[in-house]
Amino acid sequence: MLALKICPEITGFLARQSRQGVILVSGTNGKTTTNNMLAQIMKKAGYRVVVNYEGANLITGVATALIKAADFKGKLEGDYAILEVDEAALPRIAQEVRPKMVIVTNFFRDQLDRYGEIDKTIAVLCGTLSKLPKTNLILNADDPLVAQFEKRTGLPVMYYGLGKHERVITASSGVKEAKFCPLCGTKLTYAYYHYGQIGNYYCTECGFARPQPWVEGFQVKIGHKTVDCLVSCPKGVVSLNLPVYGLYNLYNALAALTASLNLNLNLTAAISALQSYTPVIGRMERYNFQGKPVFLNLVKNPAGFNEGLAALLEMREKSDVYLAINDLDADGRDISWLWDVDFEKLADKKEYFNIFICTGTRGEEIALRLKYANLPVDKIKICANQKRAVKEVLSGIGKTAFLLTTYTALAPTEKFLMKIAQKERTYEAECVSSIS
Amino acid sequence: MKLNVCHLYPDLLNLYGDRGNVMAFKQRCSWRGININLFEVNLGEQINFKEMDFLFLGGGSDREQNLIAADLTQRTRDLKEAIEDGLVVLAICGGYQLLGKYYRTLDGKIISGLELLDFYTEAGLKRFTGNIVIEVILEDNIIQVVGFENHAGRTFLGQIYPLGRVLSGYGNNGKDNKEGVRYKNVFCSYLHGPLLPKNPMLADYLIATALKRRGQSYKLDFLNDSLELAAQKSMLKRLLK
Repeated sequence: MLALKICPEITGFLARQSRQGVILVSGTNGKTTTNNMLAQIMKKAGYRVVVNYEGANLITGVATALIKAADFKGKLEGDYAILEVDEAALPRIAQEVRPKMVIVTNFFRDQLDRYGEIDKTIAVLCGTLSKLPKTNLILNADDPLVAQFEKRTGLPVMYYGLGKHERVITASSGVKEAKFCPLCGTKLTYAYYHYGQIGNYYCTECGFARPQPWVEGFQVKIGHKTVDCLVSCPKGVVSLNLPVYGLYNLYNALAALTASLNLNLNLTAAISALQSYTPVIGRMERYNFQGKPVFLNLVKNPAGFNEGLAALLEMREKSDVYLAINDLDADGRDISWLWDVDFEKLADKKEYFNIFICTGTRGEEIALRLKYANLPVDKIKICANQKRAVKEVLSGIGKTAFLLTTYTALAPTEKFLMKIAQKERTYEAECVSSIS
Repeated sequence: MKLNVCHLYPDLLNLYGDRGNVMAFKQRCSWRGININLFEVNLGEQINFKEMDFLFLGGGSDREQNLIAADLTQRTRDLKEAIEDGLVVLAICGGYQLLGKYYRTLDGKIISGLELLDFYTEAGLKRFTGNIVIEVILEDNIIQVVGFENHAGRTFLGQIYPLGRVLSGYGNNGKDNKEGVRYKNVFCSYLHGPLLPKNPMLADYLIATALKRRGQSYKLDFLNDSLELAAQKSMLKRLLK
């Protein structure tokens, strides 16, 4: 990035030209989806928005998106810049662009070898944000690690969250980053969990508790490839039918909705934009191989992987599974987090699985993890060649094929998949382009 | 046959897939018909270390580390007696540092350890992060052990043996080529990864040692370790050219 070297303030210079301001989306999971959902809402409302490409969320990626959107004089045409930003890069980017709004989705263990522990990341983030007096925060009320931002930054906050529903867990076996009150260190009490440490919590010592969300989803119904719920907000109660799978996507939609309402957008129009949302690459994409449904999903950390496995179990029919685990820089070189994923849940339903094809630079490691999760060794196969692995999983005897990959294994997997299977577009919606 | 396994603070020290070590110990016992009683002990909960056969202590973030240091200090004498009696202990990363004399932070603050073993740790500026291979001597066997290290602490040993010698990676302090600590049946290491699943010989050595201490037959049944060794070899191949 030559431009960054010549002019280190270029990010701020360009981003601040957006007429209505800059919106940053950060957190561990859901940045890309939340960002694109919000961009879709804004675009349908007639605004010109600049967004960065998925994954291009470090300082150079953000700068690239802005430079591409600017003309040769360095003039940026846009009402809003909506940028997903890696949590470690947020302090620097936030200082430069002085965002109008920051959305924080959740905090899970992710690529620890790059950033060290999560507490430090959060401390740095809060420190930076507290010095930005004109920023509004949109926070996930259900994640104590996120909700602590209100006290720690003193900024105006709008919360979103999910109410109790049929799938909540009362004694979670999932990964929990925060079992202890982030403000005083006492053990948190949970009325219920959605997943991980996301749920309804309170601290018996200092009174820190899940704030009442301004926008709250309830009566959640998770379907085969949809999520439906009712949403209550100050403007009334509306129903939301999302064409994407999974609870985590509902959270992303609620975050985007809350942000748009905070910007005084029309509720009905925002809901309709969300309902026509098309998932971006790697977010539970659907393919068809000779009539057989094939699913592709990106996994980055235990919480996301557990959600992916939940989707897999939800199929309730015989599946062939492909797991591609790489340990390059962008994946996180430390893959020990695979041992924090609850593969044991798959072993309870062995009969659903025909074979697990393990590939990627750490294919052996994921195979070993499955063995220690009590999956039968004869159903675990290591296949170093990714192309052959994709072929093998598609030609399995199962009724569906499920492909889960880490970040850098996603593109090659998709490439091989495109050659032999057809990508399905269930919803004819306009894709959000990088620049509009 | 029956072994009592104690996983200390599984709620708190749950970074880096540490629970994989307990899984590996447990599974490798149960595949051989050795029954395991697992005691998951959290802050303030009672446990008699003398009744335990294997104790696992993992690593956590700073906040968690402080919480457990306070709790574990109250159990120091019991733990010391059990260690002297031959309790098999595996302590990783933060759990390892805690068993030493102290941890000195970057700004010079001294955080006392349990002072059970003769070593101390100082914070360094750069984190030592990456895949690592060490060589470990287990009685008659010299084995290679693979894992991943991620620590800012530099540990320096006093009158005490290291667990092994660094073949690739940083180890205790990036200088003296030593990795971990070995005292009686206590094994300390910076290697998570986790350590035991990918290093089945070390896992079996811990199991055999625990059985031996109880006067039980410690000749372990053969297990097919082809997946374990495949995972280990792929890393050895990458790091030791």
